[in-house]
Amino acid sequence: MSVEKSTKKARGTAACENTNIELLKANDYVADIIRKQMTTSNTLLINLTSSAGSGKTTLMQKTAERLKDKLNMAVMVGDLETERDADRLKEAGIQASQIVTGGICHLEAQMVHQVLDRFNLDEIDLLFVENVGNLVCPASFDLGEDYRVTLMATTEGDDKPKKYPRMFLTSDMMLISKSDLLPHLPFSSEAVIKDSKEVNHELEVIQISSLTEEGVDEWCEWLLEKVQQKQEAKVL
Amino acid sequence: MHETSIVNSIINTLEMEFEEEKLNSMKAIHLKVGVLSNVEPRLLQNAYSAFHLSNPKYENVDLHIESTTLKIQCEICDHITDVQNYRFICENCDRPSKNVIQGEEMLIHKIEFEDQ
Ligand SMILES: Nc1nc2c(ncn2[C@@H]2O[C@H](COP(=O)(O)OP(=O)(O)OP(=O)(O)O)[C@@H](O)[C@H]2O)c(=O)[nH]1
Ligand SMILES: [Mg+2]
Ligand SMILES: [Zn+2]
Repeated sequence: MSVEKSTKKARGTAACENTNIELLKANDYVADIIRKQMTTSNTLLINLTSSAGSGKTTLMQKTAERLKDKLNMAVMVGDLETERDADRLKEAGIQASQIVTGGICHLEAQMVHQVLDRFNLDEIDLLFVENVGNLVCPASFDLGEDYRVTLMATTEGDDKPKKYPRMFLTSDMMLISKSDLLPHLPFSSEAVIKDSKEVNHELEVIQISSLTEEGVDEWCEWLLEKVQQKQEAKVL
Repeated sequence: MHETSIVNSIINTLEMEFEEEKLNSMKAIHLKVGVLSNVEPRLLQNAYSAFHLSNPKYENVDLHIESTTLKIQCEICDHITDVQNYRFICENCDRPSKNVIQGEEMLIHKIEFEDQ
């Protein structure tokens, strides 16, 4: 059967309907439910993305250690098959829960929504979702987050922002991670920052190392400020 | 893997939007996907074929995918720029812009139904 390409009224067998429905409407609908829940419970939700192994879980440990006297933090970890990362975090005394995606390379709002009741959200000020390690697929799925933070490790090569522009376009913060390794690598922070600002001129950037703790102060201050802003917005 | 989720999402979305009867008369789905959407048309077609193996209900529904290029419109001077090499900068006044007017979309753009 031939297909009518034009929008003009089709002959005989076909009736066209112009729809313009968002393809991920089902996901975005659930993301909005999550967003409302986070507003009710006064929880700042951060979607943490990066390629595999850029240092997300390690940074979660460092962040929790720094902020433990200041706020209640929890982490939801997406992983293809294992519960390893959540176990690592729990061993460090952090409230954590694993979402095993069973081979799916990103988290969807539905998966996050399903595990939200494992947490007592009213008592959590800051909730991280550690996304599955990959810069392509997670970019398209809104999880209802307040901010999207993307890690880019110095070990990855400095061409990432232009290779995965959607992720950098949709992020609010880029953390150049493993900065302690900079002296040993042919990685140019200037080049990465220039490219990423061409993609998204509003992107904030912090150079960070969980090892030497470079940038960790600045990162934690940023988080505290965002948590505070969210809680103040609620009071108003 | 990402493509499989997108196919599921298309079908879920259509099942949310249309009555059963209407869905049964569906002939073709037209998508419009931007270069920034991370959707690879060929992989999506493959995922759609694979989807039919477990869901034969829609096996006679064609999928058409149109790709769109990236354009921004400057908020200051209104000029429309074709974005090359992901430089989101107005070619007229050199100011950065995030105002993407084309190339980011993932739309179910048009559906064809059998006339009854
Ligand atoms: N030199 C250095 N190594 C780091 C740093 N942060 C993490 N690493 C190492 O990088 C490796 C991966 O770290 P993870 O924290 O597991 O990375 P991840 O992003 O959670 O990994 P996935 O969840 O598998 O995607 C581990 O061997 C860490 O010890 C850092 O700041 N500096
Ligand atoms: Mg991890
Ligand atoms: Zn301009």
